[in-house]
Parts: sequence; structure tokens; C-alpha cells
Amino acid sequence: MRQTKFALALLAAAALTACGGTDSSPGDQTHAVKFNQQVTFGDSLSDVGTYAVGAIAAAGGGRYTINGSNTSVNAAYTGLNWTEVLAAELKLPAPCAAQTGLQGTDNANPALDFNVPIVNHAACFNYAQGGSRVTDPIGPGNRAVTPSLGQMTLPVVSQVKNHLAKTGGKFSGTELVTIMAGGNDVLMQLGALSAGATAAGTAAGQKAFPTLLVSGLAPLVAPSNLPIAQQTIGLAIQNAAVAGGDQTAIAGAAAMAAINLGASPLAAQAAAEKAGTDAAAEGAKAGAAYAAQQGPVLVGALGKAGAELAAIVKAELVAKGANYVVVNNLPDVAGTPSGKAQGADIQALIKAMVDAFNAQLKSGLGDDPRIVYVDLFTISRDQVTNPAPYGLTNTTARACTSASSLTCTSKTLSAPDVSHYMFADDIHPTPFVYGLMTRYVLKEMAIKGWL
Amino acid sequence: MKIRFNSAVKMLVAASALACAAGASAQSAGQWTAKFGFNELTPKVESGNVSAPALPNTKADVEGDIQPLLIFAYGLTDNISLEAALGTPYKNTIVGAGSVAGVGELGTVEALPPTLFAQYRFFSPSATFRPFVGIGATYVHFMKARGSGKLTALLNPGGEPVTFEIDNKFTYTAQVGLAVNFSERWFTDVTVNKSKLRTDVHFSTGQTQHMKLDPVSVVLAVGYKF
Repeated sequence: MRQTKFALALLAAAALTACGGTDSSPGDQTHAVKFNQQVTFGDSLSDVGTYAVGAIAAAGGGRYTINGSNTSVNAAYTGLNWTEVLAAELKLPAPCAAQTGLQGTDNANPALDFNVPIVNHAACFNYAQGGSRVTDPIGPGNRAVTPSLGQMTLPVVSQVKNHLAKTGGKFSGTELVTIMAGGNDVLMQLGALSAGATAAGTAAGQKAFPTLLVSGLAPLVAPSNLPIAQQTIGLAIQNAAVAGGDQTAIAGAAAMAAINLGASPLAAQAAAEKAGTDAAAEGAKAGAAYAAQQGPVLVGALGKAGAELAAIVKAELVAKGANYVVVNNLPDVAGTPSGKAQGADIQALIKAMVDAFNAQLKSGLGDDPRIVYVDLFTISRDQVTNPAPYGLTNTTARACTSASSLTCTSKTLSAPDVSHYMFADDIHPTPFVYGLMTRYVLKEMAIKGWL
Repeated sequence: MKIRFNSAVKMLVAASALACAAGASAQSAGQWTAKFGFNELTPKVESGNVSAPALPNTKADVEGDIQPLLIFAYGLTDNISLEAALGTPYKNTIVGAGSVAGVGELGTVEALPPTLFAQYRFFSPSATFRPFVGIGATYVHFMKARGSGKLTALLNPGGEPVTFEIDNKFTYTAQVGLAVNFSERWFTDVTVNKSKLRTDVHFSTGQTQHMKLDPVSVVLAVGYKF
């Protein structure tokens, strides 16, 4: 018993040495590299309010996510995109848009006004603009394609030029520079492809329709009229077309001609309908053929854009003194609601386009101690297929009811709790996902020794 | 604590008294020994994943530490003894692993694993080589858990600095060792201890991480028999 007591005493004495300051604490929160500034180039995914003016500001929007801080409702409703979370972690001032304005429809009512003078803000260094592409000045929302909205969509190459003009042509070397683009190159190319495929399909359908009508209706007429059936029905179609009739009118005229020649009305109607269906199938086939033929062209265009972005990073950022550049690759556009709305062929094409962009970007950047290449593609793809570990509750539905998240706020949410949804709109993430994205960027920066 | 401390003082007096008594020639029944040495404590880590929301397979590794140790033993019989140690806490560095491998140090934590061993010593007290085995009750106490800028960056960037706590655990430790008596009073020994230790880390973000630590400790010591 004595011995046991002695041992307990020793344990007690050992425990005593542990007394004092045993609580948990955050420890040293400083990072290895002290950045003096954050400079951002890019598109909507990095935009902190280029278009937060006029009607968009009046709606409470400006960022491409669920706008506005509502952390009292849910901690995930920060209203922030990744560049803002990153700046906060690096203890840098909140980023502000280097240029603001809109060139859309003018209206005296600010709530409806999309025409606000363009202003450059000398003390703001986030140049990212919704709709911006790598080098092409016309992106989604640009006044050339959407005159009512009139976004500037200044391409990344021009954003960099604007910054260098401000700073005497060089970087100080202590900024954290972030750059991310390419998504709008995918969307614009796809838009053009879709328009082209539709045109090709319509043309093919229109071309096939009369022939299909004639071949479908002619055999239905009374046997005595068979010799003149083709010619008569063909003439009826021609006349209807010349008179400016649409597909229904043409089909009606053709069917009527067949009925006049003794065809059963019911059979004629069915044959005309079948001709319409077959023509549509012909059109779809032609459209798909156009898309298949144009696919490699689009993939090539995206590869070129990726190489151009890499060239900007090397020649305009790193070569001009930037020592810390974060380059995010292009996320998985095919996995967004916008991508998933497409057929399997187009989804495969989108993936090929994104792959081409990222491959050229990565190889163009090479291995450089001044560049962190962040593989957002892999992570965004994994988030869609494996949402649970990320804390995501929905990776398919849109959190916002507004078509674009640019004007999405707590008043325009699609469900009572969308805090852990992946997407705010067809293509842009929620603040929660922007937060996850920032954590991933910071992880890569830590591996590089910058944290 | 006061009562225990008083006991400790009493026992230390008792120990002195025992030390003054005419000693036996080797560790034997009723004999006290004290030894001083160093303990290298190495966790054999199998890390669980940090719970959602996290990058899948966010794991951690825990590095070992070496600390000095003062160990007391008392012979209940010539072959059975009790042993306990006085030591300073082990400071363990926690580094990122799995999908966050390469990020470096995420935090540190100090651990104090007081253990009371019951030992069986082979051969006679006068033998030169005396192998021994033991089994002990261990209480692992974690303290001074320190986060870092990197930990905050990975779990809550731009937000409140992240802290964490690790659950203290009662567990057991198995021991094998070999003592070499090189004079009547002096000896040296080497001891290997293996503990079973499963615990949970709780982050201030509400996330958790299960850790299998199962530390192995190797103690090299020189001792004196009173």
C-alpha cells in the first residue's frame, strides 16, 4: 500500500510539472512571406464588383455568387469570392474593383439603369471583370453581344497592361498576383458552336422537308392519280413556300394536295407529321455533324487561349518582377449546371476544350519557383462527384433564382437553405465553394513555402 | 492535490530512510532504485481524415520528441517491482499528411503520459543481465495545443484563428527491457514501451479528426540502487 501511494505521489509530482498555461491557443498566425498587396487579373470568378453600379448595385448585386453578408443566418453566407477570402487571410486590405461601370441601356431610374460611366480606381488592384476572356475583348455580356447589359469584359491581357501602366511597367516583387481566366473563352466558343450547329441543322431540315413530304404523301393518292402525284404535291409545296408559309403551312398545303388526289385525310396527316419528324431528325443529324466537325477547331482555340494566358504570366508578370503568382487553372465547366444541360457529345467537347486549355497553360508555365499552379479542375470535378467530404449538400441545383448570380441575393434563393450548395447559378460557385477554393489555393501556397 | 502532495513528501522521506538502511546487493525485495535517462517517444501515426468540410484525405502526422526522465522503482519481491517516472512533457510537432502533405508544420502539442508499471524481472537479483517485462496503466494528458497560420489557412481562412484540443486518454502500455548490473549499486538499462493510444482531435471550426498514435518509447537510463 505504501508503495502504491508512493507511485501515486510520483504521478502527482509529474502532473505538477505540467501545471500552468495548458490551454489551447492559435499559436503564431503570421505567414512565411509578408505580401504587401494583392493584385488580381481574371474574370467573373475573381470580380469583386466591376459592375456593382446602376441597376446591379440597386439590386444588391455585384459579385458572381450569393451577394451580401448574411453570416448571422448561416456562416457560409459570406457574400465573398475567393480573392476576398485570400486577402483577409493574408491580412491585406479588402480588394476593390480597379474599374467600374456599365455600357448598357440608359435609364433615369437607377434600378433599371445599365449605363454608368466607366471609372478607373487608382487605389484598387482587382482588375478581374465578369465576362473577360484571355485576349479576345468580346466576352459574354459584352455590349457587342448583350447591348442591354453592356459589360466591359476587358480581356486579361488588357487588365495587365492597365496595371503596368499604373506602376511604371513593373511589379515590386512583394505582391501576391492572382490570375484566372479561360471560362468565358469556353462559353463564347460554345455559343458560336451552338449558333452554327442550329443554323446548319435548320438548313438541312428545311432542305430535306419537301422531299420527305413528297415521298411520304405521293403513294397515298388514288391509284389513277399516281402518275401526277409527285408533281402536284411538289407544286403545292413550292407555292406555299413562295407565299412565305412556315413548316406547318407547307405541310398543310402538301397534305391538302394529296387529299385532293384521293388520299385518306388521316393517312395524309400522319404522313405529313412523319415527314416533319424525319426532317427534324435530319436537322439534328446535320447539327451534330457540324458540331463534330467544328469540335477540333474549338479545342484548338482553347489550347491557344491557354498558351496565351501562360505567355502573359511569363512575359508580363514574372518577367516584370512579380515573384509570387498564383495561377488557377480552368475548373470543370462540363460539371457545372450549364455543362450538364448539354448533351453527352457537347459535354465531352467541353471537357476536351478545358483539358486543352489547362494542358497548354501548365506546359507554358513550366516549373517556376515564382508561380503556383493551382489545379482547380481536379478539385472542382471531385467536388461534383464526391461532395460529402467537402461539406457540399447539392452539386446540381442552382442556389439562385436569378439567371445570373451577379444580382443574386438572400432575396432570390431557390430553397430555404442553399448555404452548402455548390453552384449559385449555371456556372458560378456559392460563397461556401469560394471558401473551399481559397483553402485549396492556400494549401498550394503553403507547399510552395509562401505561408 | 494537497493530500497527494503531502503523501509525496512523506514518501520521499520514506525513500531517504530506505536509502540509508543497510542495502541489499542488488535490486531485490524492499529495495528502491532510481535511474536517470532519456526517452525517445515516437508516435506510430495512422491518421483519420479531418471531417467535412475539408479536402478529402486531409491527414496529419505527428513527429516524436526526446525528453529526460527520472524513473523510480520499488521491489515488491526479488522479481516483481513497481515503476513510475518523473519527466518533462513531450513536445510533438503536427505536420500535414495525405492530401495536405508538404504544407509543413500545422501545430504543436505537449503530451505527458504518466505510467505506473508492474514489472517482472527475470533471474536472481545478483545476476549481471536481468531482462524484464512490464505492463502499465497510462494516462495520456495533452496540453498546450498550438495552432498556426497554416492551420487557419487550411481550415478557416480569413476567419477566427483555428485552435484545437486533443482528448486525454486512459490506456495501457506494454514494456520489455534489459538491465545490466555493472557494479553492486550501479546499473544501466534499456526499455522499450509500446502504448495503445486512440484519440480524437477537436478543431475550433467544429471539425474533428480521429488519430491512432500508438507511441513507442525507447528509454536508455543509468540507475542507482539504494
